[in-house]
Amino acid sequence: MNLLNCRDLVKKYGSTRALDGIDLTLEAGAPIALIGPNGAGKTTLFSILCGFLRPSGGEVEILGSKPGRSELHGRLAALPQDANLDPRFTIGHQLVLFARLQGLSAKQATAEAQRVLDQVELSKTFTMKPEALSHGMRKRVMFAQALMGNPELVLLDEPTAGLDPPNVKAMRTLISEAASQATFIISSHNLDELEKVCSSVIHLEKGKLKGVVSIDQSKSSGYLTLVMAELTATVEQIQQVLSAIKGVSGVSFNAPNRFVLDYDASNYPQIDLEVMQRISAMGWKYRQVVNGRTLEDQLYFE
Amino acid sequence: MTRRGLLSLLAFALVWFLVLRYAIYGAAQFFMADAPGGLIVSFFNSTVINNLMSWQIPELAVFWVICLYLLPIFCVALTADQTASDRARGTLRLLHLRATRDGVFFGRFLGQMLILFMLILLALMTTLVLVLLRDSSLFIPALRLSFILLVNLLLVLLPYTALMAWVSSMASSARQATLYAVIIWIVCSIVTGWLSSQFPGLWGLDKVLPGAQVSGLLQLSGWNTLSLAYLPIIQTIVLLFLGRLMMQRSDW
Repeated sequence: MNLLNCRDLVKKYGSTRALDGIDLTLEAGAPIALIGPNGAGKTTLFSILCGFLRPSGGEVEILGSKPGRSELHGRLAALPQDANLDPRFTIGHQLVLFARLQGLSAKQATAEAQRVLDQVELSKTFTMKPEALSHGMRKRVMFAQALMGNPELVLLDEPTAGLDPPNVKAMRTLISEAASQATFIISSHNLDELEKVCSSVIHLEKGKLKGVVSIDQSKSSGYLTLVMAELTATVEQIQQVLSAIKGVSGVSFNAPNRFVLDYDASNYPQIDLEVMQRISAMGWKYRQVVNGRTLEDQLYFE
Repeated sequence: MTRRGLLSLLAFALVWFLVLRYAIYGAAQFFMADAPGGLIVSFFNSTVINNLMSWQIPELAVFWVICLYLLPIFCVALTADQTASDRARGTLRLLHLRATRDGVFFGRFLGQMLILFMLILLALMTTLVLVLLRDSSLFIPALRLSFILLVNLLLVLLPYTALMAWVSSMASSARQATLYAVIIWIVCSIVTGWLSSQFPGLWGLDKVLPGAQVSGLLQLSGWNTLSLAYLPIIQTIVLLFLGRLMMQRSDW
């Protein structure tokens, strides 16, 4: 059974097509990233998968069922963007209610609520109301509710949006730890974060599917990324020097200081040493030489 | 129990204390002092007053009249936010991951009815205490009559709660839901009034709005009041159907 099947999925808002004929099939496994600029249709796709929105056309099947069906309760979890807990009730009270709705007994539900809060290191918030928490803590509580009952598929819509670096790191660790128990689909603008957590990427743009890319593949040889410390020569000069290295078939520049070398990895496996020597000989300073390309280079600067 | 819930309960208790102390107690004394064919009956000379005067327990007769007009207002205010603010806040999304749209919609409706049931029960019990303080031998007939009133008041409130369930499914706050209800109410009143005057053959139009049976109820007593029960039940079914339709079709 596929994790997810979309066939010619369309969502219209008036004359605007937020999703424009998406065909997508995904299998369970390592975390999957969903990326695209603002207005690409990421949140719309998530909302349709969760049953919050009804598609204007096409078909969707998630874990073998139509979105919003009771068969998915407890199997599909999500951290929807801009969804908040009720400020009038304590966090524990609401998590216990969610667990009860997922079919747990009162005793099991309390234990489950405490377990997930403990998992996100917020067990002390059980008796607190949502308004007493910081933004980062609220996000973690929302993540906790998505882990209740050990779901098969977890959709996270912008889980790190608005978080400071320590909280982003904490969220990344939480996702990595939980990824062994469920398949995660994570929507975000933060490509660096996604690169660290996910193994493949669904790329949306203007409501259309641009492609499904393997991050592991982007990290493999065939490309070399050179990050300069400062540009003491012109971009054209640097490109000329790098292109002259044997085995390099192309050099692209990504402002402000990144060069991506396309090279023959099978015949020139030691090319990174050659690149460093050439830069040193020219008296230029570099910050990093990385095997492969960043996700950003792969998706936007091909 | 939330702060808003406690405030609502406190407001209900205070209003009810005033109603009980001054309206029900005072009016009951007044009714008892008036013999059949006395001042009140001759002054008002209506079937409603005649009917109320015939009640064995005047406290409950006054309770009945007051509740018929007061409870619907309280009901509209209390049940306005069945799903509205949860939708605006996104909490409905978290619920929908674990419950169907029907489950949320009908669950909230039944929850509101349960709260109203308990409030009516509480109000009836305090009135019963008032009756028993006057004459403890009236316990059994008062209990029997209280049960009839409880069933009838719940029937009266059913369509109001269903109306608020419907408008709440369109609104993003309790205030907006109340505003929608007022607009729907006024538009329906004007349209049905105009249609009735233009086409006298359309005789059932005055029964469209919740509470249409109230004036009829005041002329009935005992279980005879259930002869009008079909009206709020049909209204409730129609309003819940509209609300369910809205809930199923809306984007969250």
